[in-house]
Amino acid sequence: MGVISRGVKNAFRNGVRTTSIIFILALSIAMSLIMLLALKTVDAKISSVKGSIGNTITISPAGVRGFEGGGTLLTDANVTDVKGLSHVVSTIGVLSDRLESASTNLISSIEPGEFGNRQKRQENSSVSSNNTSANQSFTMPVMVSATSDINSLSSLNVSELTLTSGDKIDASSSENIAMLGKDLASKNGLSVGSTFKAYDQDIKVVGIYDTGNTFTNGSVLMPLKTLQNLSSQTGQVNQIVVTTDSIDNLSSVETAIKDKIGSDKVDVVSSQDQSQNAVTPLENIKTISTYSLVGSIIAGSIIILLTMVMIVRERRREIGVLKAIGSSNTKIMAQFISEALTLTLISSLAGIILGLIFSNPVLKIMVTNTESSVSTGGPGRVMGGGGGAMMLKIGNGTGNALREMHAVIGWDIILYGFLAAIIIAIIGSAIPSFLISKVRPAEVMRAE
Amino acid sequence: MLKVNKLTKVFLSADNKVSAVKDVSMDVPDGVFSTIVGKSGSGKSTLLSLLGALDKPTSGSIEVGGEDVTRMGDSKLIKYRRDKIGFIFQNYNLIPNLTALENVTLPMEFAGIKKEERIKRAESLLKQVGLDLAKQNRKPGRLSGGEQQRVAIARALANKPKLILADEPTGNLDSATGKIIIDLLKDLARTENTTIVAVTHDEGIAKQAKITFTLKDGRLV
Repeated sequence: MGVISRGVKNAFRNGVRTTSIIFILALSIAMSLIMLLALKTVDAKISSVKGSIGNTITISPAGVRGFEGGGTLLTDANVTDVKGLSHVVSTIGVLSDRLESASTNLISSIEPGEFGNRQKRQENSSVSSNNTSANQSFTMPVMVSATSDINSLSSLNVSELTLTSGDKIDASSSENIAMLGKDLASKNGLSVGSTFKAYDQDIKVVGIYDTGNTFTNGSVLMPLKTLQNLSSQTGQVNQIVVTTDSIDNLSSVETAIKDKIGSDKVDVVSSQDQSQNAVTPLENIKTISTYSLVGSIIAGSIIILLTMVMIVRERRREIGVLKAIGSSNTKIMAQFISEALTLTLISSLAGIILGLIFSNPVLKIMVTNTESSVSTGGPGRVMGGGGGAMMLKIGNGTGNALREMHAVIGWDIILYGFLAAIIIAIIGSAIPSFLISKVRPAEVMRAE
Repeated sequence: MLKVNKLTKVFLSADNKVSAVKDVSMDVPDGVFSTIVGKSGSGKSTLLSLLGALDKPTSGSIEVGGEDVTRMGDSKLIKYRRDKIGFIFQNYNLIPNLTALENVTLPMEFAGIKKEERIKRAESLLKQVGLDLAKQNRKPGRLSGGEQQRVAIARALANKPKLILADEPTGNLDSATGKIIIDLLKDLARTENTTIVAVTHDEGIAKQAKITFTLKDGRLV
């Protein structure tokens, strides 16, 4: 029987003690693993959130707000210039227009209501104080938007877009085609394949969509080039939506855009607050996991160290005998390290199984607690789109970011866990056995 | 030849110094069965620990085979204990979770002897000390005191030491078993030319020794 096998055998010398040690150590290892896992999951989520939520910048002509204000329209060349900036992942040109009754046969699905009528009265009173007929026959204009990327919801300023019939438009096309919001299509009795008049041209309906929003369901979507041609704004856009590689780079890209186009020519708005709202609770979970990880590693180390101190002290006499019959200090240490490793490896195995079982539930509890602690931050907001774009509703990305988190245990995490446990076991057993093996045999035997 | 010259061991306690062994000088020729006698607390066990290099003397020297043990470094001391000395303790000090056979193979494992060889030798030694073959794979807890002491003697002989130090080897045994153990040790001294130094307070055993040293208050009288 060698030193190693003697150490392994010693690990099972006392059944009750061995079971207790393995149980406590397994809990500590499971806790470390769960926290390591939570940390890695949250870290990955933070990177993902930083790369997907709130990493957009909207560029509008300086002074423009909705269809009010001035400014010079942006151009396709500006889109290309911005695309060339570092940390910019994509740029989408957006053009919006209002179809008044004179330029289309479409009837708006949106009723003016008290607010719209009051606005119209104020507009008319500034033109002619005696004109009352406008008040009676007023209808809302139909909003038409065009984009170079129909799949980018952020450029369309909607949080969701579902096709209810037909197909999506090809955003690169220059044909007279359009998608209609379901309310607008219903109001005008239009379906896929129908045509309507706009800018004195026949426009073919290729798809009907639903955004879940009354305003955007009453709008028209067209390919960018089509609207540019029809509205005589060739090569022009009134908004550029820029996506950066991370929210960490929003500020530098914002500065670069102003430098490139001219800070007096554009208004640049980033969605940093939104991303910050999403990242803050994740950062909270990360902090909790980091502290818990450190705590459980310290706890595990102390358990192993105290266990081995206890075992070594208990076997002082045996160590004395081993030395008296010719064992070297190294062999004594190796025996105790092998014993500690046996206990640790079994505990690690049990800890990993516990970790696998409890990692997702624990992560869920942490997410729930963090979510409730940040829920006072508000569920999102409705704001006006720059450059006359549709009204947009930015959903609360925070909740989604948290709810969509799932712990995935990779071999690397298991390996890290094993390595950490083994290193702790080696140190925890080597220190007390080294100290005791340095003592003269007679001293430890006399102490009994 | 075991040669002890002016050996002194002083223990430092909280307030005072206690001299357990004072100025002890003694010679034991090779192959001689000798005993150290004295009352409890006279320093017998301390002297034996010093001879076996289990403790460091405060002063004096111990020569075994011409080498001064007190001047040896740690690695030399390990070799000395492993190759030159065989220790027999009063309470046997067998490793409880190892079988009788495994206990005997232990010193040979430390000496780097191959597994097959050490098992063969351990079986032969256990047979020599009279332990039944059937009991060789029993753990100490399932052996009687006499059987455990036989295993301890076999373990002490494992690496063919030139000096066997026995601390009250029959202290926990009945007189019949004690006699068998002493006969075994005497036989070893005669047949293997092994020097044996046994601590005892049993006058009957002391009378069987070729040389007897008497200790009183740490001094030889």
